Formats: sequence, C-alpha cells, structure tokens
Amino acid sequence: MRLARFRACLALAGALFLTLTPVGGTLSPPGVQPDGPEPPAAAHGKPTRIMSLMLCNDLLLLMLVPPERIASITYLAHDAVEALMPGADRGVPVNYGTAEDVLLQRPDLILAGTYSAPMARRLARRAGARVVEVPATNSFEDIRRVVRQVGAAVGEPERAEALLAGMDVKLARLAAERAARPLRVVAWSGGNSVPGKGTLTDAIITVSGAENIAAKLPDTRYGSFGLEELLAARPDAILQGETRWTGPSLRDSQTAHPLIDRYWRGRVIGYPDAAYTCGLPQSADAAVALRAVFRGLPAESPAW
Amino acid sequence: MTRLQAEQLGFRVAGRALVEQVDFVCARGQFVALLGANGAGKSTLIRMLTGLARPSAGRVLLDGRPLHAIDRRELARRRAYIPQNARVEWPIAVERLVALGLMPQLPVFHDLDAAMWRKVEAALAQCDLGHKRGQPADTLSGGELARAMLARALVGDPDILIADEPLAGLDPRHAIEGMARLAALACAGRLVVASIHDLTLAARYATHVAILREGRLAAFGPTADTLTPANIRTAFDVTASIHGVGADACVDFRAVA
Amino acid sequence: MVKANRHPQVLFVLLLLLPAAVALSLAVGRVALPFSVLIDGLAEPKPNLAWLILSELRVPRTVLALVVGATLGLGGAALQGLLRNPLAEPGLLGVSGGAALGAVIAIYFGLAAAFVLAIPLLGIAGALAAGALTFLFGRSGTLTLILAGAAVSGLAGAGLALALNFAPNPYAAYEITTWLLGSVAERDWAQIALCMPFILLGWFCLAFTPRGLDLLTLGEAQAESLGVNLGLLRAQVLAGVALSVGAATAMAGAIGFVGLVAPHLVRPFVGHQPSRILLPSALFGALLLLVTDIAIRVLPTSNELKLGVLTSLIGTPFFFWLVLHLRRLSP
Repeated sequence: MRLARFRACLALAGALFLTLTPVGGTLSPPGVQPDGPEPPAAAHGKPTRIMSLMLCNDLLLLMLVPPERIASITYLAHDAVEALMPGADRGVPVNYGTAEDVLLQRPDLILAGTYSAPMARRLARRAGARVVEVPATNSFEDIRRVVRQVGAAVGEPERAEALLAGMDVKLARLAAERAARPLRVVAWSGGNSVPGKGTLTDAIITVSGAENIAAKLPDTRYGSFGLEELLAARPDAILQGETRWTGPSLRDSQTAHPLIDRYWRGRVIGYPDAAYTCGLPQSADAAVALRAVFRGLPAESPAW
Repeated sequence: MTRLQAEQLGFRVAGRALVEQVDFVCARGQFVALLGANGAGKSTLIRMLTGLARPSAGRVLLDGRPLHAIDRRELARRRAYIPQNARVEWPIAVERLVALGLMPQLPVFHDLDAAMWRKVEAALAQCDLGHKRGQPADTLSGGELARAMLARALVGDPDILIADEPLAGLDPRHAIEGMARLAALACAGRLVVASIHDLTLAARYATHVAILREGRLAAFGPTADTLTPANIRTAFDVTASIHGVGADACVDFRAVA
Repeated sequence: MVKANRHPQVLFVLLLLLPAAVALSLAVGRVALPFSVLIDGLAEPKPNLAWLILSELRVPRTVLALVVGATLGLGGAALQGLLRNPLAEPGLLGVSGGAALGAVIAIYFGLAAAFVLAIPLLGIAGALAAGALTFLFGRSGTLTLILAGAAVSGLAGAGLALALNFAPNPYAAYEITTWLLGSVAERDWAQIALCMPFILLGWFCLAFTPRGLDLLTLGEAQAESLGVNLGLLRAQVLAGVALSVGAATAMAGAIGFVGLVAPHLVRPFVGHQPSRILLPSALFGALLLLVTDIAIRVLPTSNELKLGVLTSLIGTPFFFWLVLHLRRLSP
C-alpha cells in the first residue's frame, strides 16, 4: 500500500522533472514555432524586428534604421549612445543578451558579435530569425566592410554608403592637411597593456597624423607597458580612455600617478572608449577631434 | 612568614556552585594535599588559590593582602603554579623551558645573565635533568616533562608552589620521587599545595590534608588527624583502613559493600 | 654551559643578503638600464631618465617590497606565537580580507577617482574593523579566535564576491581581480608615506609581545601565572597585525603565504622560541618578497606576473608539505 503510493509520487516527480528540463522543453514548448527549415528573410522589404546582441552593432543599428524597426538593443548601449549620439535610443527596448530575450522578442534578424553568435545561431531557428555575425574591426577597412555588411543585412545599403562617404571625406581631409610635426603618443590608461599595431586605436592615431609609440613594440596587438617604459619613451602626449560614464574602476586612480601629473600636465588627452573599440563611422570624427587637440598642445618638450 | 588564607571562598558558574564556603589557612613549611572525588571542585579551588580565577564569593589572602590587589609580576615571583597535564607548545630546549620561570624577575627587553643561568643549572640539577638540558622538550617522557615543569616552577625560588595533579600519568617510581621532592620543598620552608589522587602517597608525604566534597571543605588539618577512614568514606564513598604512620603509612580501600 | 646561540650568525647572513637584493632590485626593471647609466644618473643634473626611474619607480617598489614582506613575516611569526599554531598567518584573522574589502569599496564607489589616497585609508579601516570583529567574537580563547577569524574571512570574501557581481562594467571587475592578485609596482611616494605610520605603529605594538609569546610556550595557564596579561597580549598582537598588515594590504593587494613561510624557514636556524624568530622572520619575509618581486621582473612573461600569484605558486606546495610534515609529527 505504502509502496504503491511511493511509486506514484516518484512517477509524478519524474513527470514534473521531465517537463521542466530542456528535454521536456522541446517536447511541448508553449507558443514557439515547431522545428522547420530556416525561414527566408522577409521576402518583401526589410527586416522589421531587428535585435542586436552587441554594443557596437547597437550603435550601427541606431544609425541605420529608425527605432520602430528595432526589436531591442543591449542594456550596455545607453551610456555609449549618450556619449556619441544623445537621444537616439529613446523608446527602444533593451535586452540583456539572454536566450529568454531572444525567444520573447521574436526578432526576424539578429545582429550578433563573435561571442554572442553561437547562442544566437542555436536559437535562431526556433525564433524564426536570421543571424548575421559581425566581426570585430581593427582598421578603417574593417569599418567599411562591417558597415556595408550590416547595411545589407538590415536592408539599408544606401544609408550605409552615405555614412561611409561622410567618413571617407573626413579621412581624405585629414590625409591632405599634414600635421605640423608628427607627435609621438601612446594610449595608456594606467594598466599593463597598450594598443599597438593592428588595433583600431592605432588606426585612429595614425590617421590623425600622430605616431603611436606602441606600434613599435614587439608584442602582438596589445603590448606590455608600464611607467618605466613611459618615462623612457617620453611621448609628447598620453591618451587615456574616459571610463567615467561606464562607472569607476581602478584605472582612474592609477592614472593619477604623480609622475603623470608632474611631467605630462596639459598633455593628457581623454577619449571616449566606445569610439575607439567599436568600429563606427564616428571613428573618423575621433581622429579629427584628436588632430584638433594635438594642435592645441604646448610646444615645449619634456624635461629630460 | 608566608601565609595563604582562603576566606569564605565560593565559585559559581551558570547558577551552579562549584566551590562553596571554603575557609582555611596554610603557612610555610606545610605540604597540603588536596583530596576529593572527581568533580569535587579541586581544580577550581586551586585556580582561585593561584589567583587565576576570580572567586564569586570570598577572597584569597596572601600575607593578609587580597590576591587581586597584588601586582601580577610580584605574585608571579612569589608563587609558582603547575597546571594539570602541563604541555610545552614548541620544541624548545629543556634549559630554555626552565629559564622561562625566571621571566617575572627579568625586566622587559633584558636577556638572561650568567647569574640567572646558574640558577637554571641548579634547578635542573635539583630535578635530575642536568643531562637533558639541550634536548627538545617535546621529546621528553611523561616523568621527565613533569620534572622539567617542576624545575621551571622552582628556578624562580617561589615561596608558594601550587600544583594541580602533579602525579597524573606517572609510574609508581616517578610518583614517589615527585612526592618526595614536594615534601622536601616544604621541609625547606616553602608552602606546597597539591591535589593528589593517591591516598597512600598523601598519607606518607603530606603534612596537612584538605578534603573537598561537592565543593565544600569537609575536613582540613594535619594528616594524622584528618586522613581518617571516616573522612575518606565521606569524601570518596569507599571503605578505607589505614595501616602504619608517617613514611610507612598505607591506605587500603575497597568499595562500599 | 649554555648551548651556543646560532642567532647572531643567521642575522648576519640575512643582513648581508638584503643589501645585495636591494642593489639587484634597483638595477633590474622593464627598461634595461646598465648599471653605469644608473650611477651616472645620480650625478647628472635632474631630472634625467635614470634618476626618474630610480627614484620614482624602482626605489619605492623596493622599499614597498621590503616593508610589506617584513610586515607579513613579522605578523606571521607573532600570530604563530600567540596561537601556538604553526599554520597561523595574517590572512587567518580575516585582516587581509578586511583590508582587501575596504580597498575594493574605495574603488567600487569611485572614491579612488575623487581622492587618490582613499584606497589605503579604507583598506586600513577594513583591516581594523575585521580585526576588531575577530577579537570581539574570539575573546574566549585561541580556538574561538581562529574560528572567529575564519568567519570574518568568509564575510570579507562574501563582500568581495558581491562587489564583483555588481561591478558596473567588465573593466571594473577585471581591475578589482587584478588588484587583489597583489603588486608592489608603480605605487607613489604619497601612498607609501600615508601607510608607513600605520605600519610602524603596528610594528611598535608587536615589539612589546616577545616576552608574553615566550611564556605562552608553557600554555595559557602557566603563562598567566607567570605574570602575562593574556587579554592585553592578544590585543597587542591583534592591533599590531591589523594595523601593519592592513596598511600593507591596502597598498599592495592580497599577498599570501609570506607570513606562513618566513617563520618556518628561520626556525631551523634560530630555534623555536617565539621571541627569537620575530626579527629574523621580518628580515626573511622582506628578503623573500623582494626576491620574488625581482623574479617577476626577470621572468620573460608576456603579461607581467603578479606578485600574489607567484607567492601563491611557491607557497601552496610549501603549505601542503607543512601539513604533511605536521601530520607525521603529531600522534
């Protein structure tokens, strides 16, 4: 008698367990389309529910399509948007990059980065979406490639070309007006590594007419760098990523090392991080702004 | 004149009285054996007599002064205490262990001088440990460690020596030797108070006996008068018979019928 | 006669090795400067590169490594003496954890950006708070003290995990974790000057403990009977360790195992008496940490190895060996 009841409880528990596990999930998920062949992109017109899972893609998306066609962008985007294009994300929903978000928002196009792509691909079928993996950008050529790729994916190739044309105009102007004297700079934010050859920061610095000291370091893209190297290299200016709007971090305190204050006062240039890590048409603006700041630097050389 | 007086001593913990209304006086030249069943309150009484435990009631007077009013170091110079199962925590040399007994007499930041090392030598000799002076203390046998602790207690030449079960775990020969040393110390003019379980040894060597029963002092006085079958029966619930006197005394006991 | 004291010879050797290590530390760095250039730099008009690197980077780094190492060695020796436990070390009382938590709070709430010296101050505050908490709950004896220390360490660890969980951006989490790994590089003189008084005060407190620690060899009861005020001794050790190790951790991050290893390595030479290992442990801890810091600069790794990582890599096998060794000794 007791044994029978125990077996019944066990069976009930097992049934509950099965329905709650992923295995059970695929048996009868509520409200999701059954498996089938990957649906084609919206046959007539452009994707209308675009979801972006990566910060850089968020920004590109906001520049290419109106907010009504965006299903969601990541929660990290807001601070960057405030810095680069204030107000552009008004009314746009936000996602946290989770599988639930993807399934709930039913996008028809997912823009993913290298790390979010595998998950996006897994969910794409069930969500009925197309996944476009956008690679990282390390040069202006990469920027052109990526903007065209995203422009094509969201169905706005003309807007993409327009953005790139604007960028190319600025780059051409920078190349034409050679800087008075090539400055030696390094982008050092107090940590142990600096961006060297093959990074977007290096590309921006080069385009702005300065020489990136770290490009000569033997290491691969991010070189090892400390205060000793800084003193020995004697750059004319130091670039420091402004992380203030993404919250405090130790870098801010370390960059206040007295040596920097003493020998590089008035030669420390802050720059918004997003413009240097995300390959955007705005990267040309960053180079232009940089050149303007360079022109304003004092002429005398360091004390030794 | 060394005089240790317990005045209406009491000790309570969590509502229970471990020791109650203990009153006695002992003086130099006496070897007081503290007897009592397990849990009778011997260790608690001893801790109050040394000054390490504050009595809940009454006080302990040393030469008329309450213990808690005496400066720690001065008290340390006058009375030595060997607790139950004394252990050494680090494997230091025996001579250094014994030298620790001189610390109360040494000003802070000073090191031992030649005169003090001579005292250490003397204490080692007195306890038959001269040949072991350099040996790490954790390699000593039970009896040797007991002797080392005694040497540590004696090196400072205290007036009072209080020992809690100094014979615990010692074989018969070492037990007898230990008792003989304590008795000799008393003869030499010190006051020795020790809790003992062995009734025969107490009968042979102790000058005075204090019997504790359930926290109260059942009897106190010279051994011959106090260590009687009746008192033993009250304290230990055993039938005893005592043969011989003084150094030939022997206490025979068996369970109550 | 009394057995010959090996003490003076060991101190002599240590005092010889230390200047050699200091010289090496000043000569070695990421920018290779030949010794002649360094010497010339002292004479040439300032500022010049060699002088800058020496005075602003290598000398503070060397001084910090020595001071932190000495503090950890001394703290470990004092705690092992107080707790009569060869596995005791400053991290045990939760002091290092409290200091780390204080410093991380300074970083997390942006105080460090506003006020550069916030990290050391909050680190010291955290260490004192943790030490006081341990002392408050661990009054009734050695075992309770160790347990209270473990509880406080756990509390600090939970706080750190919380801070990491709620880190506003990945950089913050990375920076916190990197800082926790421990480093003596690129600290400025102002920070060192702020922390030194606390460290010296801690050393001062510990300077009064040798007698009491020696007497604790006989156990608490006998020590008390020999005139030791146990409560005061515990307070002195705790305050000394909290102040000195707290300030050191606030500057250099969490560096472990030096406090455990240094006393053990000097014991074969100076014996086991607690008072005799205090100063040698401090000197040896200083030497150990300085040599480790030199090793970091010399080892050809792409990212600079962190000090705490290397001490852990060396210290953990030692810790295991110690546990096995003690198991073989005890019944």
